[in-house]
Amino acid sequence: MKRAIVLAAFLLVGALVASALPADITYSEGDTTLKLKNGKQQEAQIGDVLNTGDALRTGKDGQAELDQKGVTIRISHGTVFTLMEKSQAGQTSTVLSVALGSIKFRYDKITGSEPQVRTNGAVAGVRGTEFTVFSGADGSSLFAVDSGQVTVESEGKSVDLVAAEGVEVPLGKPPGDKFTVHRDQIDYSKWNEDKLSAMLSDPEEAMTNIETAMAAYEKDTGDYLSQFNDYNARLTQERANWADISKTKGADEAKKYNTDVVYPLMVQTVALGLNVRYSTLAALSLRRFVAGRMYVFLKAQFIAGLDSARWTSFLARYQALLDGFEASIVPQLVEADI
Amino acid sequence: MRRIVLVAAACAAAVALASCASLQHSWDQGAVRQVADLLNAGQAQKLASMSVTPFLVDGEIVLIRTDVSSFWDGVAKAGFRVEGASLDQGTPVTAESYRQFANTMEVKAFFSRYVKEDARILSMTSNTGSHILLLMRSEWFSRQIIGFKGPF
Repeated sequence: MKRAIVLAAFLLVGALVASALPADITYSEGDTTLKLKNGKQQEAQIGDVLNTGDALRTGKDGQAELDQKGVTIRISHGTVFTLMEKSQAGQTSTVLSVALGSIKFRYDKITGSEPQVRTNGAVAGVRGTEFTVFSGADGSSLFAVDSGQVTVESEGKSVDLVAAEGVEVPLGKPPGDKFTVHRDQIDYSKWNEDKLSAMLSDPEEAMTNIETAMAAYEKDTGDYLSQFNDYNARLTQERANWADISKTKGADEAKKYNTDVVYPLMVQTVALGLNVRYSTLAALSLRRFVAGRMYVFLKAQFIAGLDSARWTSFLARYQALLDGFEASIVPQLVEADI
Repeated sequence: MRRIVLVAAACAAAVALASCASLQHSWDQGAVRQVADLLNAGQAQKLASMSVTPFLVDGEIVLIRTDVSSFWDGVAKAGFRVEGASLDQGTPVTAESYRQFANTMEVKAFFSRYVKEDARILSMTSNTGSHILLLMRSEWFSRQIIGFKGPF
């Protein structure tokens, strides 16, 4: 928890260095909830603004539309959308996260620096103008392109999609084969129901996929955290050096040292902190919207027979997943994330 | 005279306290009876309408309202019953209450962020085992379920 607070303080400083583009809510109907980064929840209203770390959830009858400076984001019912950011090649970039549900993205123009779109199991680089992302109950994803080009990547393999093409990505696995898909042809509810049924009828297979994806997020979090700690220690040392130079060699030397050494190190440290946060929240999303939902649905299914072998076998693996999550991810979370 | 007034005031306070405790006990008993009756009647819709989100199932935080409905639907479809359910103990929520659901940072944060101070933790025993209900008072003295654990 203390480590998470140190990281949060760093990211606060980082906000001065870099921040993702905000998104304005231009339309909201039915059950729509805005969860702000500070943990506060409120009914989403037209005119509200989503900033980095904020999430929008639509209920059974809810839908919303956001405008993010030239990107129209149409959020369907039963969807969880979060505005995230990460550091890539020294640049802070916006990531549009679809943890559950379906979202249609439409770009007015392509600038070459379009935000990535992520689901629980895949990331899409966008060079297209109109496409839809579906994020299923079992963590699998489906991308369907209406126009332009989208590159979908998972488990080190990528697939380029052009207009009228789609691809499905099972959780923890590389993208499948491309298929032809026409505009608005996919019925998300039906697709998602099939995913949910498959997950509940074969919890072992679903758990394997969740474990693979969670292990990747835990590794990323650990790697970034280790680098962050190294850089942070170096930064502390360099700040002390800067203070010495300031005392012994004067203001001009100190300013030069700050520009050449301290500031670049701080930017790198902030970028690493940003990526710790990104992978932590990605893991939380997987835990909450895939693993946790699976637990709740299976618990209901087996509640009258909790001694059944299928339930106890699932429970043992689930507990192991939670143990890993507790050890690797929870120390990076803050109360407002919950 | 002054002494008599003081004794009378002390007695009145004691009676008031006792009746408060008695009222609280009957509220707790009523809550257990209501939830048990709904479970035994398979009234998933009613249970869902009494439930709020975020909701707690064992150590799992449920954020989506339709998932809470699906949970109660599933419980009803599984034919789950709590015959002979009775209240074991009713206690106010304290800083340590989260441990009764799960000793995790997430559940601790859930209690701190979403559970009102006047919420009650009710331990219930039935033929299927023990359960914990987490309930809050809503407007007009009706009850809201915010957490369910068990059977264990």
